[in-house]
Amino acid sequence: MAMGNIDRHLPLTEATFYILLALVTPNHGYAVMQQAEEISQGTVRLAPGTLYGALTSLEQSRLINLAATEGRRKIYQISELGKTVLREQIRRYQIMLESAVRNPELWEANSAGGEQL
Amino acid sequence: MKQRLVTKFKWFWAWDDEKEEAWLADMAVKGWHLESISPFGIYHFQQGEPGNFVYRLDFHILKNRDKDSYLQLFEDAGWEHIGDLSSWVYFRRPINGSQIPEIYSDQESKIDKYRRMIIYLAILLPIMVLSIPSVYRADYFGPAASTILETLGTLLLLLFAYGMVMLIRRVAQLKKQSKG
Repeated sequence: MAMGNIDRHLPLTEATFYILLALVTPNHGYAVMQQAEEISQGTVRLAPGTLYGALTSLEQSRLINLAATEGRRKIYQISELGKTVLREQIRRYQIMLESAVRNPELWEANSAGGEQL
Repeated sequence: MKQRLVTKFKWFWAWDDEKEEAWLADMAVKGWHLESISPFGIYHFQQGEPGNFVYRLDFHILKNRDKDSYLQLFEDAGWEHIGDLSSWVYFRRPINGSQIPEIYSDQESKIDKYRRMIIYLAILLPIMVLSIPSVYRADYFGPAASTILETLGTLLLLLFAYGMVMLIRRVAQLKKQSKG
């Protein structure tokens, strides 16, 4: 696996991350909007203009492919390159998460008026 | 009640598209709903129940095939496509509740819209610069007409250059907003 090759796609934006995740199974645009909102627990709501632009640029950078057309709808799915990028992003998120969780000072009982998790 | 139609001409600058959206929403509050748009900014309204609508203008240069899937996505997401004015695409949807629906959910993709306009002008500008001298030299209409064409051509060119500057300023403004 040529890491240098996928580095230019990273880090993924939050929106792109959920779009790629929603395209692990082939989907049309509106289904991606709905799924992104659902799997992100409502933290990512994509508007159609933003999603259209994202799908176009993801297709251009070959992270997703056009799988089929259904009437006027285009069905996209994640490519092998897209999966590689997504897995690498998840690995990096894991490193971030583990390093933060292991930092005890961050979790000390709401010391400096911090938010409760 | 017999439905009435009204046609209005109004000029908007590309970098002021939000003013146009606000004006269309204001017309809807008064019961005038945009029905179609004709070239040069001629708006056709139909009278109906006053209502709260949000109007949004997108800008795209799309191939027919891409346009179908693009419009379908907007329709699936609840936006009604009213019509186009050259590369401008007009959408509307009713406002339910306090949240104003948007066609762009982040600042970056909103900025991309203005970037597409800049690219559009950047492609048109050299074509105009190259075509104007050939118009000047065309003597079919006599020297007087030539002078008029020359003046008009130059004014148009200045207008394009001004538009470019204003769009670049708009992009800078939006970038600043996203940082603040």
